[in-house]
Amino acid sequence: MKNNLNNSSSPNTGRRYWRSLDELADTSEFKEWLHREFPAGASEMVEDGQTRRHFLKIMSASFALAGVATLGAGCRRPEEKLVPYGKQPENYTFGEPQYFATAMPTRMGAIPLVVKSYEGRPIKIEGNALFPGGNGGTDRYAQASILDLYDPDRARRFKNGDKPVSREQGLSYLDGLSQKFSANGGQGLVFLAESSTSPSRARLQKIIAEKYPKSKWVIRDAIDSGIHQRAATQAFGQSVRPIFNFDKAEIILSLDCDFLGGEDDAHNHIRKFSVGRKPGEAMSRLYAVESLFTLTGANADHRLRVAAGSVSQIAAAILGAVISSQMPSAAAASPNGVDAKWISECANDLIKNRGNVLIVAGQRQPEIVHLLAHAINTALDCIGNTVTLIPAGETESADSKELETAETLIVLGGNPAYNASLPANAKTVIRFGYFEDETSAKANWHFPAAHYLESWGDATASDGSAVPIQPLIQPLFGGLTDLEFLARIAGETQTNPHEIVQQTFGLSEENWKKLLFNGFAVSTAQPVSNVRLAQSGAELNQLLVAAAKPAPTAQNLEVVFYRDAKADDGRYANNGWMQELPDPITKMTWDNAVLISRKTARDLGVQNGDIVEISLNGRSVKGPIWTQPGMADYSLGLALGYGRERAGRVGDGVGFNAYKIFSGKYIETGATIKKTGATYTLACTQHHWSMEGRPAVREGNLEEFLKEPAFAQENFHGIEPPVVKSLYPNPLDEAKKTALHQWGMSVDLNACVGCGTCVIACQSENNIPIVGKDQVGRGREMHWMRIDRYFTSDPKRKNNPSLFDPNADFNQTDENQQFAHWIDDVQAVNQPMMCHQCESAPCESVCPVNATVHDQEGLNVMAYNRCIGTRYCSNNCPYKVRRFNYLDYNKRPLSELKGTWYSTTLTHKTGGEWDLLRWWKDPNSGMRTEDEWDLIKLSKNPDVTVRMRGVMEKCTYCTQRIEQAKIAQKAKAGASDDVRLSEAAGTVPKTACQQACPAGAIVFGDVSDAASSVSKLKLQPLNYAVLGDLLTKPRTTYLARVRNPNPAMPDYHEPFSTEEYDHCSLIKKGNS
Amino acid sequence: MIFPKWTNWLPLALGIGAALVGGGVAAGVTIYLTPKYTRAGYQPVQPVPFSHRIHAGQLGVDCRYCHNGVEKSWFANLPGASTCMNCHNQVLKDDPRLQLVRDSAETGKPIPWVQIHKVPDYVYFNHEVHVRRGMSCVECHGRVDQMDEVREVKSFSMSFCLDCHRNPAANIRPVDKITNLGWQWSTNAVEAQKLQEANGKKLVHDWKVESLQSCSACHR
Repeated sequence: MKNNLNNSSSPNTGRRYWRSLDELADTSEFKEWLHREFPAGASEMVEDGQTRRHFLKIMSASFALAGVATLGAGCRRPEEKLVPYGKQPENYTFGEPQYFATAMPTRMGAIPLVVKSYEGRPIKIEGNALFPGGNGGTDRYAQASILDLYDPDRARRFKNGDKPVSREQGLSYLDGLSQKFSANGGQGLVFLAESSTSPSRARLQKIIAEKYPKSKWVIRDAIDSGIHQRAATQAFGQSVRPIFNFDKAEIILSLDCDFLGGEDDAHNHIRKFSVGRKPGEAMSRLYAVESLFTLTGANADHRLRVAAGSVSQIAAAILGAVISSQMPSAAAASPNGVDAKWISECANDLIKNRGNVLIVAGQRQPEIVHLLAHAINTALDCIGNTVTLIPAGETESADSKELETAETLIVLGGNPAYNASLPANAKTVIRFGYFEDETSAKANWHFPAAHYLESWGDATASDGSAVPIQPLIQPLFGGLTDLEFLARIAGETQTNPHEIVQQTFGLSEENWKKLLFNGFAVSTAQPVSNVRLAQSGAELNQLLVAAAKPAPTAQNLEVVFYRDAKADDGRYANNGWMQELPDPITKMTWDNAVLISRKTARDLGVQNGDIVEISLNGRSVKGPIWTQPGMADYSLGLALGYGRERAGRVGDGVGFNAYKIFSGKYIETGATIKKTGATYTLACTQHHWSMEGRPAVREGNLEEFLKEPAFAQENFHGIEPPVVKSLYPNPLDEAKKTALHQWGMSVDLNACVGCGTCVIACQSENNIPIVGKDQVGRGREMHWMRIDRYFTSDPKRKNNPSLFDPNADFNQTDENQQFAHWIDDVQAVNQPMMCHQCESAPCESVCPVNATVHDQEGLNVMAYNRCIGTRYCSNNCPYKVRRFNYLDYNKRPLSELKGTWYSTTLTHKTGGEWDLLRWWKDPNSGMRTEDEWDLIKLSKNPDVTVRMRGVMEKCTYCTQRIEQAKIAQKAKAGASDDVRLSEAAGTVPKTACQQACPAGAIVFGDVSDAASSVSKLKLQPLNYAVLGDLLTKPRTTYLARVRNPNPAMPDYHEPFSTEEYDHCSLIKKGNS
Repeated sequence: MIFPKWTNWLPLALGIGAALVGGGVAAGVTIYLTPKYTRAGYQPVQPVPFSHRIHAGQLGVDCRYCHNGVEKSWFANLPGASTCMNCHNQVLKDDPRLQLVRDSAETGKPIPWVQIHKVPDYVYFNHEVHVRRGMSCVECHGRVDQMDEVREVKSFSMSFCLDCHRNPAANIRPVDKITNLGWQWSTNAVEAQKLQEANGKKLVHDWKVESLQSCSACHR
């Protein structure tokens, strides 16, 4: 299985793309990954000597036994029952999916959704494309949230102490509470809730405040996204909420604001940002100032790597340069080590584009940074243009000190026992939550919450529109909605959440139905105009001085706590899809790590995988080190949301709990690190499915694009497809003449920010299983699409002896190379990679059983039932997009996901009984426990086959959607020839990834229709095929990435990495 | 001589014997272990003695009166008991044979009919597109209007599907004749065959009926 890579080893000069430090340093570990199609051991069974051969021996014995059994049991087919309805429901056809508009509430808004339901089971979540400005895109949390609905670990019962009680007992306890507090006016009653934008909840909150005037209501979030509103309110002296119009901005400056990744409402930001990033004269430019390497930084044209605590000084310096009269004097001293020219040229660019610039401050930054950002926005006339201020709703929250006065504490959602602490002196803690988690364990009462897909509710979207939430299914385990829970505590007569919401909206029956049908009511809020800053320069200066922090050093490290791209604040810790999704930047799965820069690692003498103890303010936590290119020096990045103790079968014990040293501030200094001597293995996918240094990405600068729009075409750096005529005619050429459509796809590298929503959408649509950390570590993850993240760095740094260690020899393989300076400031490119549906597909010609063949519409289809698992196809795929089911992942119990030993029917017991015996009695019985089975069956998409062990699988362009669309069109055509799908008529389906993409980076369609968008995109000058010189004729092509750096900036880069290309053309010249 | 002379015939005898046995096994497998034998003819006893011959044949109730999802969904649904009661609350309203139906309509507890026609789970057969594009029920289900107890007539094997997919012209008919199970282009069988060929080709051409033989047509 070793590959000969002589033709693609990269030279050590110039620029190149790399995925990891190991690759850069050419370590033996990376070589191991590179040279094997499947990693060592990927095809071996286990560590304790049970090899594949041994396995076959045992299996052949069991097959012989099974053969005997079959003869005895006879060949009669089992009798199966068909059960029709007793009473036929109206307007419902069995087997046809139904779609309902609803919404997923988020911290500061809601995502309007359309959810697909089969036979009453919600199956797939899509964005509501009718929503104003919406394009049907969502974020990854929304895509993954459907798995939570079917989570076997979700709270299923009412509990008093440790004892489960009946629902009736639970509800009567709430009635008793309301009587008690009506009598004493709510003495000692404190609510601890998370943020919500629900008008109904706000209404109930008000009712409770009136009924129980002594009660207190505290709102506290582990990840605080409310700072944007609070800061804008303070900056402008009135209650406003800012809406950032990234689509209107020509220059965007992010002050540690990960608006494409970790901020609330990121999918909306991505959508708007991609509008402005169309290559051309009007293309926007993004400057990012940050300490962590975030998605925003990865997509920035210029990125300044500074400690998070220094961002305020840079903001002040830019404000000072923009308008010298408001310059706070504290900013005069430029932050340590920051190139003054970077700041002045950035400011010049902002001034030049006055009115069309946008400065955003990150939610983890203190208020002063937000005030400075608003000051710059105001100074540059952006308010009302790139920043829209809308009146903010009132949120009444008492000070969190009130928690200490609680006698009866009602915890509404959230998980304070995990991410903060519960007040010690509360006599009764009543928990309303979705999981029986850390907080429930400490609570006296637990009430199970309903999933939002089971609930009536409402919310306010980020643009101020009201959105109703309607259920698609009855609560699976009898959970309550928060509205019913609150209404019962309030002693309301009306406790039905449907009635409560309807009452809040106050609509006529007809309008109410219309609202539910559309899923939103457009905001009528008028933007606030004529605002002026409430602070003077002197006041800002004062705040700035107060916020100033010394630059971090090796003994005084800075810690940055951030919202995890997968677990969020811990709420998705038990979501297997989220755990297995590679982090957009680190590509880490099933873990978090202590992210540090290369220089910090060198100074502290730590390496990847070393477990260190971080001490901060007298508290400490242990976690593994991960060297992340692009991190600020002496700054540690800690993802929140891991190290759960009572998350469930998936999330327990994954990663470490950074909340242990978190005290509410997201940026802190004064941390120290101590090596413990232990090491830890992280499952990181950045080497997996490597493209082996072959040229996959093409990118250029805007200048070059304007001069030569077709720079990325086939002659890109000497890459020309060899003019070879195929020896045999391609049967597809013949089929093309009569086929109705020819499917193709275009992926815009310029629009893609790498958020990973498409990966989860694909997983949800195509029944893709999770495999667990151990299996990911063996390179067996099953994702049909992956997002390749390549780093590239400035060759000038590499070749400038003053910038790196002169003793390092770069022409040699040098383990220390990963400690060289020039990897510090990196750029990143994201490239979604899935089956390219090659017209002359290399996989097809090597399949011995014709399991993968072409259909007449250009799809490279997999017939799972034919596949015998030789894996030849995967070996021969240059894009490495085929995935093999090494195990029966759908049958493995969730509890085994993290173990190194994994189950087969031969080696595993369920409930004390050998699985082989169970299988003997009932071949359909699995290794999963009953409750897992019931739920996993509900969650699967019935349109897609659930694959078993030993079968190869891959992206199908969502063939089930294509077939359904074709069937619908043919059925409509009836006795006519109107059978062709057309984009103009809106009958061409969208693939799951395309539909979920908030940036609209993926376009799928009929390439034989010249009027389709995909055909037009393929005619664009930026269009190119990855490895097109292999003559695979891929149906998926890419639009090259165009960056828009400012030539005046000191870190202006050479446009693209050319090393791979130059090297390839060299070889070709050498050969000819 | 170590071997007697008759042993000269042994190889031939063994060869012929092996051929006979092999041929017998092959023939046995082809006949007895294929869906044509194992599937066709399956006729379980249903919980309610419902007669298609009376309802669809004698009374002429259209298939789609009960199986009303057949034109809208991949699945041709069984009627809910409430559909039966549309007539049977007047006709035979106290008949003991209908007790299960009356109970079901009242309580909502479904009647456990035994499934007869079945394709494997990895086959995504779709009724809607077949019946709305000129494929009659009779092609797969046979003359249900002549059966008291329904039985499986065709093999429902992959080759059975492919026979028609390779040559849809042989079975296609006008869409308004789909549920008329006894309908033919002519009462004369020879004539009907000729007309089917000619008209079938024309319909396939006019309606752009595809002869779908790639995996993705049925397997997803």
